[in-house]
Amino acid sequence: MYTTRREMLEKCIALGAVTLVTSASLSSVALAWDDAERKRQPTPFNELGPFYKRDAPHVSVLRAPGDPGMPLSVTGGVYSVSGEILPNAKLEIWQTDHFGHYDTAGYRYRTILQPDAKSNYGFESVLPGHYPGRVCQHVHYLVTSPGHRPLTTQLYFASDPVFDGDPDKNFTRDPTIVSRELVRPVILKGDPQRMIAVVSFDIVLEKA
Amino acid sequence: MPTKIMLPFSIFLLAIASFAQLAASGGLKPVASVPAPCESRGERISPAGNQVALWCTDRSVRLVNISSGTMQRTFGPQPRVYGGYYSPDGRWFAAGFEDGTVEVAPTSGTGETRRWKSDTRGIGTLEFLPDSSGIVVAGVDRPGQIWDLRGTPKQLATLHSDFAGLLACSFSPDGKLLVTADGDTVIRFYDTASWNMLYEYRGLTLESFAVAFTTDGNRVIVGGPDERITVLDPATGTELQKLAKDADVIELIRPFGSNGQAMINYFDGEARKPDHRSVWNINTAKSVPLTADHPTTGSGIVGGKLWVSSTNGKVLDIWAYE
Repeated sequence: MYTTRREMLEKCIALGAVTLVTSASLSSVALAWDDAERKRQPTPFNELGPFYKRDAPHVSVLRAPGDPGMPLSVTGGVYSVSGEILPNAKLEIWQTDHFGHYDTAGYRYRTILQPDAKSNYGFESVLPGHYPGRVCQHVHYLVTSPGHRPLTTQLYFASDPVFDGDPDKNFTRDPTIVSRELVRPVILKGDPQRMIAVVSFDIVLEKA
Repeated sequence: MPTKIMLPFSIFLLAIASFAQLAASGGLKPVASVPAPCESRGERISPAGNQVALWCTDRSVRLVNISSGTMQRTFGPQPRVYGGYYSPDGRWFAAGFEDGTVEVAPTSGTGETRRWKSDTRGIGTLEFLPDSSGIVVAGVDRPGQIWDLRGTPKQLATLHSDFAGLLACSFSPDGKLLVTADGDTVIRFYDTASWNMLYEYRGLTLESFAVAFTTDGNRVIVGGPDERITVLDPATGTELQKLAKDADVIELIRPFGSNGQAMINYFDGEARKPDHRSVWNINTAKSVPLTADHPTTGSGIVGGKLWVSSTNGKVLDIWAYE
């Protein structure tokens, strides 16, 4: 059964586990605690380009049948720093194919997504390839939402061989990675014949 | 019989065509050869023709006198230099650093060096006003800022962008217009008297990394990963032409001379192939590879002429394109 923050506080105070030294009511303390937990840090910036392309198609499945590479499934939510959901956000996402090639003539591995009513988004792709111009595998994001600052950032993968299994220590091997937070854990799912890399990447936008 | 006549005539035509091609392609005439103070990744030649800035592999930028080979100033390596540009008269060099600092220093002798914090992000793009009284500054993925350099640097204006920032810009020869290529794929024109935006060109879907006025100021050339070069009318901001270009991505366009020529730097965006340079003509859309003894790695416009540089790691050669 779900216990509200107020009920939990009442119980803790009754048991002597929490002492309230404030003139505020128990309800307002509980609400303030909830608010503090909802507040989120903005997603770190990471540079835009090159090879952003305007007017990508609105598709959630980027990989075509038979495309080489490890299938990738990315999901996440889009929020403001105060924890509100942003269902009117727009996510522009682009990456290389498995071989590390960007499609500049067309729109392969490029999409524009809008989150659902709960502000969740998701897309199916393949793990992007490496190429000589960049150290790590990455997926580009440009996220906009009314009343919020546009965010350009990039998603990286903790499974990237460049990190030698230790992204905490080695994420700076790619000088473009400005924050460890952008390197996301990878969960491998499915049977050995049909493995899929699953990654969660929430986006948090600052107010304009 | 006709064959006997046709054969010498075709050889004659071939010879004419070859000569025409040679004349069109021009040649590189040596200007100077100086010891390189470091292994250089690229060079920028001063418009005054007396100095060259070398981007050294130790991440410093060094200004070297072309006639004596002496080093006159060093920027970096800490903080790291992101961008560096000469003023049009060659008297000043502006360096943009990774910590958002800009430094404008005299290229030689004593003069007031101005240094200020312009942004929290690295400064990748800098461009002096034609009279060197001000400078355009842009941090990575930030809109351009206009700074007045008369006295203590003072910000005059911030340029527009839907998102991301300024990637390249160019002033008209008369200094009345500024054109910018922005990361949001838009080309914007500004009145330099008010810094108001006059018009936008939104006909591109990919970013452009290079933009330049032709030397007569009548056209603007735009290039990047797009398959064609776009030519715009600076009087209206509208598209005039789409022209052929080499494969690969354009990163720099340097118009020179009076015949519609421009040197174009190409790079492979995924860095699988080395950079290359061509001399391209806006009137014919034809290009000729620009090659010296070693691959050319730098350039500059000196007295309206194109100069290029190449290095073998120990010696820096400067050539004039004739």
